[in-house]
Amino acid sequence: MSEIKTIALLGQPNSGKSTLFNNLTGLHQRVGNWPGKTVEQAEGSFVFDGVTYRVVDLPGSYGLSANSEEEVVTRDYIQSGKADLVCILVDASQLERSLYMLADFVGIRMPVMLVLNMMDVAEAAGKKIDAVAIEKRLGVPVLGFSAAESARYPEFFKKMVSAIKTPVCLDSGSLREELVGGKSEGEDVVSRIEAALGDFEYGVCEKIWIAEKLLEKDKLICGIVNETLPFARKNAIDAILDSEEGRDGGILTGEAKYRWVSKIVRESATPKSIEKVFSKWDRIATHHVKGKFFAFGIMVVSLMACMILAFPGMGIGFGLQPILESAVERIGTSLGIWPVVISFVKLVLVGGTCITVCMTSFIFSIIFVFRILEEIGYMARFSYAFDSWLSRLGLQGKAIMPLFSGIGCTAGAVCGTRVLDTRGQRLLALVLLWAIPCGSKVAVVLFLASTFFGSAAPLFGVGYVALIFASFYLSSRLFGKKLVPQNERVGMIMELPPYHKPHWKMIAAMVGRSTWAIFKKALKMILMVAALFWALSYAGDGNVENTLLYKIGNAIEPVTMFFGMRWELFVSYLGGMFSKEASLGIMSTLFNHTGEAFSLVTRVAASENLGEALANTITKPEALAFLFASMFNVPCVLAMGTTYREAGSFKWLCTIMGYYVALSLGLGFIGYHIGLLFF
Amino acid sequence: MKNSDFIDRLSLAEMGENRCGTVAQIEGDSRFISRIVSIGLTPGSAFTLLKNDGRSPVLVFCRDTVIAVNHKESSQIFVKVES
Repeated sequence: MSEIKTIALLGQPNSGKSTLFNNLTGLHQRVGNWPGKTVEQAEGSFVFDGVTYRVVDLPGSYGLSANSEEEVVTRDYIQSGKADLVCILVDASQLERSLYMLADFVGIRMPVMLVLNMMDVAEAAGKKIDAVAIEKRLGVPVLGFSAAESARYPEFFKKMVSAIKTPVCLDSGSLREELVGGKSEGEDVVSRIEAALGDFEYGVCEKIWIAEKLLEKDKLICGIVNETLPFARKNAIDAILDSEEGRDGGILTGEAKYRWVSKIVRESATPKSIEKVFSKWDRIATHHVKGKFFAFGIMVVSLMACMILAFPGMGIGFGLQPILESAVERIGTSLGIWPVVISFVKLVLVGGTCITVCMTSFIFSIIFVFRILEEIGYMARFSYAFDSWLSRLGLQGKAIMPLFSGIGCTAGAVCGTRVLDTRGQRLLALVLLWAIPCGSKVAVVLFLASTFFGSAAPLFGVGYVALIFASFYLSSRLFGKKLVPQNERVGMIMELPPYHKPHWKMIAAMVGRSTWAIFKKALKMILMVAALFWALSYAGDGNVENTLLYKIGNAIEPVTMFFGMRWELFVSYLGGMFSKEASLGIMSTLFNHTGEAFSLVTRVAASENLGEALANTITKPEALAFLFASMFNVPCVLAMGTTYREAGSFKWLCTIMGYYVALSLGLGFIGYHIGLLFF
Repeated sequence: MKNSDFIDRLSLAEMGENRCGTVAQIEGDSRFISRIVSIGLTPGSAFTLLKNDGRSPVLVFCRDTVIAVNHKESSQIFVKVES
């Protein structure tokens, strides 16, 4: 059996951690949850020189304090000692600030390697950093690196292998000097706390680290010390923490850590000029009015770029479907194959694959465009511009981007929620996102509104927008508290990363890999659903009344009528969960008696006289019910798939689905019964 | 005498654009302190105020980084302005 080594990646958000993780592990990664936490756990592996390396991508955090679930998870993992090497990533272009993470790590007895990432950006900003000098000073392996340049990876592997072979921990001596300050030995707060801690031991953490965390009033460490220390020593520590020096402990340790960092940086790096960091461009991007217009402009352009990028894929999917379908029909009939097989191949295999190609092409374009926006550093500017609006819902400003792209395609936008920093934020954004109608949903709603209510249709448009905002309010009340706890909602404190040049090759490779992974999963799921529906709706003689769906639909009609939906409408509603086109296609079959078989994969948006046929059969209250139910129906099968992928849990997918089924049927119910009063 | 006894304490929220200063004191709970310290603002750190329009988050340049601090929170950070 080959050897397995574990590497943990630690770094602040925007340190390029995910780029390194993706490039190391490629397709060999899986994303799940940390047990019992709403924090994402990304793990992957790669093989180098016959050794398997397991890579754990720790959640991005600014330091090792236990202020958020992300930070708790990160710290727990490091303290568990499971890693053979902790690889600390810092942004070389913001060296002094991002080295804080390293300073916070001092006192933890774990082998480390420091990666000064984004050296290319630092160099472009006129900054010179001497990695060798830093390595000498720290005594641990240090690598100047750029995770987005594939040519630099051999250096990384070399350094990593030697760092694992001869593991070295950071020495706490130099940080101690800074913490002690000018005090004589034993007189300073840190030494006094250490003395009071006595023989207290806490895994890989040195006493100096424990003392720092006590001074920073770290809840977890304070709790553990409180539980384990005898009363007298606990009191002694409390007394020190209550003293004038101890009260400002967080400031004291912070200052010491930055002094420690400054000494490293000032000797081995030249600062960059201020003109380069805050350009005229940024003055506009951060203006309280112009900045928002500017951001809206970027969003519109991005959405258009998404449409254009998705076009070839959509074209192929759309274009091939009728050609392949008729080919299957022709070849099948001429070979005398059973009609049931032909029907299955046509409606499930061919239709399902083509629809997956169409749907995935939009996902591809959204991931691509988002990746670029993030890579060049604009995503953070979105946060700046929209934080004040979205923080009311409990979200970061940059959530505006996935929410906005929901207008294009919900399934794609769901993948875009990856830009948010915490899993709670991501889940909350997912919940809100499902309410935002994509182009197809808008088309269905407007079609129904104009069919039944003619000139009053625009009113429904306005009402729809109002309902969407109302649903935002409802969702953030229902889910916000749990997903983004009030005490984690601090006002915005973040860095604006410098603009970067995008590394096209790297972006293309990463986006290609993600899209392929999504396509494979989506295909499986869509084929399964299409096959199930096909089985329910197949009738040898093509008569709708001989299908299972007809029988089931009729059987449950008394229940669905409660929500104002006769069985035909309810089946169309269910079809809408697959795709909006399916919803219209099913209505065409059921109301228009076109003689076509039921199909989820039909691309005929609505047959010409569907409107007329509907208006003749359906009453206005029923129409209201169906209209409202369609507004908040589950987006589509692919959106379910990507939501499952992003949420990383089946439970959350079911929760969100259940919420929207309840919401849409509830609104349908209200619409129906109000309609009964008026019509 | 503590810094808080100064009568003419100036917070980041009240500081004018394009001026340089140093952080004098930070007030708030340990959570806020830990967050603000980890992003690079500590007493004694020199910075340049890039932007302060009175409502949007304040932008400062400190330790090689452009940092945005919510306007409300920025009034908890007291500064000495270089004349």
